[in-house]
Amino acid sequence: MASKINRKFWFQLHGWFSLPVWVVFSFVCLTGTISVLSHEITWLVNADARAVNSGNEAVKSMGEVIAAVENKYPTADVNWVMTRESYLTYVVSFTDADKPAAMAYVNQYTAEVQEVFQGLTFIGFMRALHGWLLFPWHHNFSVGYYLVAAMAIVMLGALVTGLVVYKKFWRAFFRPQLRFNKGKRIFFQDIHRFSGVWSMWFLFVISLTGLWYLTQAILWHNNVEIEPHAPLLNNESLPEYQGSAPDFHINIDQALATAKQTFTDFRPTFVMLPEHNRDSYKLVGTGDFILYDDYSYQLSVNPWQGNVEASMSPSEMPVLQTLTHIADPLHYGNIGGLWTKVIWFVFGLILLGMAIVGFLIWRLRLVTLKKEKQTTLEIQEAS
Amino acid sequence: MAKVYATPWHRYKYLLSGLILILPVVFLYQSMNPVFPDALPEQTIGDFVVAPMPFDLESPYQHDGVYVKDFLLTFKAGNIANIRQAVLNIGEQPITLESINMSKGEEGFLHGSRHGQHVHGLASEHIRVQDSIWLTIEQWDGETHTVSWEVPAAML
Repeated sequence: MASKINRKFWFQLHGWFSLPVWVVFSFVCLTGTISVLSHEITWLVNADARAVNSGNEAVKSMGEVIAAVENKYPTADVNWVMTRESYLTYVVSFTDADKPAAMAYVNQYTAEVQEVFQGLTFIGFMRALHGWLLFPWHHNFSVGYYLVAAMAIVMLGALVTGLVVYKKFWRAFFRPQLRFNKGKRIFFQDIHRFSGVWSMWFLFVISLTGLWYLTQAILWHNNVEIEPHAPLLNNESLPEYQGSAPDFHINIDQALATAKQTFTDFRPTFVMLPEHNRDSYKLVGTGDFILYDDYSYQLSVNPWQGNVEASMSPSEMPVLQTLTHIADPLHYGNIGGLWTKVIWFVFGLILLGMAIVGFLIWRLRLVTLKKEKQTTLEIQEAS
Repeated sequence: MAKVYATPWHRYKYLLSGLILILPVVFLYQSMNPVFPDALPEQTIGDFVVAPMPFDLESPYQHDGVYVKDFLLTFKAGNIANIRQAVLNIGEQPITLESINMSKGEEGFLHGSRHGQHVHGLASEHIRVQDSIWLTIEQWDGETHTVSWEVPAAML
């Protein structure tokens, strides 16, 4: 009897975790699932975002890619360049007299500017919609970011209580039970349990990385510095006073060569040009490591002397930085390229289905209970 | 008991969280139609004519342990390539060139492109009536210029 009451309690707890927020939770699942394949969707729907390399050309240098934009828009000032998968173009961010914040898709094999636009990319929009529901950022926090990250508690709670309620859940691995002929509610219950057990690993990964995002939000909100900012150059680094403004002594390709000397497997993913004379080239990249994201190598290169002012690599990261750089690949599934993304996408859909089916089970239970009560009342009235 | 199950609250309570999803639509509209405070009057400083615009009228916020206030500075005349370094601060006095030269953090330094310079202007936790907004520009030819604006009343 005690065990039955106990089970009822856990079952109720499972509902309390899931049901009150299941609509928002489902939306977060849906946007997250789309985000996983947002690069591929971009490739599919926008020909200008594709980096076609029919001539089998080598990748142009970063300087040539930037020059392509500056040649097309002579009054443009380039801020940064982002590289993506080899089948997608580089993204070059720039300002111009009539474009306060523009982006150009530049084919890295041909240096052709294929598209210029203002606003967010589809990838950026989906990440913002999934990550913080487009709630505004108040410098170091967003209510939406908290809201989404708190879903990790909901998910973990639902997972743990679900496993407690589902006695001998491991049998679902070997003897899955899917009853098609016992009515809608039984079928939904079976599919909900079956999906839950088979996506247990995914639920753990997503909720644990989600808990990290929640922790990160609290740290940001409390001004705890997880990653140090690039250092400001000493005043002495700059040339002496002179009649006309000097150009930087080191160009972007030379700075990237320095990065490559520092980390031999360095591949740039995000390159930011100096924004003022005491700023440095901020070179971000990836290397021959797994689990870490595409921003795990970071260097600041002095544009006047060419020396590395600061650097960061996975082997030197303290705990909080490590967590920052392994969370995204685990959360979005890009740890192993396209195939892991497809796996994450499929399990994202399963999770979305579980949230919807869980609610439908509750609705069907409600109808059943209502009918039972009505029948009882009718019997009582008849007698 | 049957009545309890039949109430609209009981039937629809678990759909209410969906109302939150109206907000992303509102925020998307707001982000596509941003509203900023008026720019301060343009002023001449050396060869430059500059108009700063605060991004909002709220109190300074903390950035890397320093209180700052964000501005966009539009240079209506002058070539920003001639700037060696430039700093914006809010206080009773402009920041000195010695302090700028010794600075270790990038807060206060103008950065961006010729089409718009941004700055996390150095400030204290609260802006006071006696404070002004100071812009100090050091040029490559060695000349240093300073100009100030009154703090808008709405920002105090």
